Amino acid sequence: MSNSDLSERLDVEGGTFRQWLNPLNKPLRHKIGLLVLLLLAVLPVALTSSEALIFASAFFFAMFAMSWDLVSGYTGQISFGHTVFFTVGGYSAALLNMEMGLSPLMTIPAGVLVAALAGLVIGVPTLRLRGPYLSLVTLIAPLILFGVFRYFPIFGGESGLSGEIDNLFGLGFNDVIPVYYLAFGLFVVVLTVLLAVTRSDAGRIFTAIRESEDAVNSAGLNPAKFKIFAFVLSAAIGGLAGAAFVHTPSASPTPNTLLALAINIEIIIAVFIGGAGTIVGAAAGGLFFGLTRSFLEGSELVIPVANVAIAEVYLILLSVIALVIIYALPGGLLRGSIVGGRRVLNRNSDEDVATDGGEMVNPVAQILNNYRDFLGGDDDER
Amino acid sequence: MSADQDAPPEWSDELGPNDGILVMSELTKQFGGITAVDELSFAVQEEEILGFIGPNGAGKSTTFNCISGIYPPTDGNIWYKGENVTDLPPYKMVKRGMARTFQSFRPLEDRTVLQNIALPLVPDKLFSLAGLRGETIKKAEGVCELVGLDDRMDMTPDELPHAGMLRLELGRALATNPDLLLLDEPFAGLSDPEVESISDLLKQLRSEAGVTLVVVDHNMRGLFPLIDRAVVIRFGELLAEGTPEEIRSDPMVKEAYLGGGN
Repeated sequence: MSNSDLSERLDVEGGTFRQWLNPLNKPLRHKIGLLVLLLLAVLPVALTSSEALIFASAFFFAMFAMSWDLVSGYTGQISFGHTVFFTVGGYSAALLNMEMGLSPLMTIPAGVLVAALAGLVIGVPTLRLRGPYLSLVTLIAPLILFGVFRYFPIFGGESGLSGEIDNLFGLGFNDVIPVYYLAFGLFVVVLTVLLAVTRSDAGRIFTAIRESEDAVNSAGLNPAKFKIFAFVLSAAIGGLAGAAFVHTPSASPTPNTLLALAINIEIIIAVFIGGAGTIVGAAAGGLFFGLTRSFLEGSELVIPVANVAIAEVYLILLSVIALVIIYALPGGLLRGSIVGGRRVLNRNSDEDVATDGGEMVNPVAQILNNYRDFLGGDDDER
Repeated sequence: MSADQDAPPEWSDELGPNDGILVMSELTKQFGGITAVDELSFAVQEEEILGFIGPNGAGKSTTFNCISGIYPPTDGNIWYKGENVTDLPPYKMVKRGMARTFQSFRPLEDRTVLQNIALPLVPDKLFSLAGLRGETIKKAEGVCELVGLDDRMDMTPDELPHAGMLRLELGRALATNPDLLLLDEPFAGLSDPEVESISDLLKQLRSEAGVTLVVVDHNMRGLFPLIDRAVVIRFGELLAEGTPEEIRSDPMVKEAYLGGGN
């Protein structure tokens, strides 16, 4: 690629790359997103050790959710067994570390590779076809893997791998702040990679496949290639999260932390709460779900009348929240708040015309509009 | 193509790879025990507008699906630009310059008309940012203008009227820059003035861009003034072939298709 070609490619929507990077030129919702990341970056100051570990686990859960969103939210190919990739990544890394003494810096990339390979093995035969084959195969894949774990003693059956696993950079329970930043850093990396992929042309083709595979085919684009790419990338990222997770003090390689059916369900619920097919929604939904789950699990509250501890029924509670959100905001919290926010901000722009043909202007909207001018940037996409 | 083993020998009267831009020879498609297309052979000449007609269930859409690569044919051969393309998948046919529209539209409901039409302009590569460049959008705007959607580019497909959806479908096919365009019932559900305006557009495509057109339709009044030649099929078999006048006066066609009488 020649230099001029490269600069042309970076010439995004008329501005230079540097202008594009400047956060002040971003639409408001991007500013809010960056602000939230900034808040998460300074948050450990205000957290106790156990809270910091809860946040670290929530970051990993959000990575799982984002990896699922890339395939199922974008291409519409629903995977019911994404835990297979977390497990394959996590177990490969743990076994290589425990049995062969490789350092986590070697075993994590190895876990990513093995998970990507598993993605190819499941994705290539199923995604070349049209129809629900991926869903069917991913539904049974965790069961097969669980069977394998029970049959071969090396995997430790239901109790998982036992033994000493080296933690990444030697971080133990006493280093909660570095563990937090490790999880947060990985979360930001995964978020950035997935945003870059889904905001490039590939992302548009993924969503076009979700809408109509015929249309993609008739546009001269090979749908199978893009579906397999999304799936394998998603598997690799799931494997990365799983492999890194087992090398932190917050998790150990057991079926309960990585493979359980409940995790598949929780991921899907979390993504739908945040907004499927947005990555940012999956990240937010994953964080929300992970944190709320830990909060409810740790809660000693008892539901009156029924006399059940909230900790025991957290999944039901979160499922109900998800159902309410799906009913009220079918696109998830992220799209709902973008649409809602835009409605508030654009109340007196020319798009929103009152029934008499005039413009709807009210004092609140005017004040908000002044703030909007002050904050700068406009919401241009979606 | 001399290396084409499926091509008939030169002395044969069967159609061969070089008898037209698109050639079908003994094309057969069976679904289970049902034969939808039965040893159908015909050729499409470069820069002609061919009407492909037949009663309901005659196998017109199935033939289109075989040509465009959606179904693999059970038997027979398809040649496009002299090359055997019998078993190529749809996206490869599009890359070779053949586009099609669908009888039931396939819009992308999640994006604007402009973004719908921009989809074929995106390269078939995993890592690309071309779609974000102004150039791609400009090209898509040009196509919108060509098909008469320039004032509706920012609408979503569900806001378009039926005729607008057809123009969208046409625009997306044209954005692939085809040499041959297969149109599946483009006039269905259109009013006479709309049929006329689409016909003018199709004629313009032929005269200005040299596009070859194969048009399936039931609307004879709309179709006959547009086409140079027609191929009529019934029960998946070739019934007649000729100019619109010849077809109109063909007694077999009258009986099978135009319902006898007048």
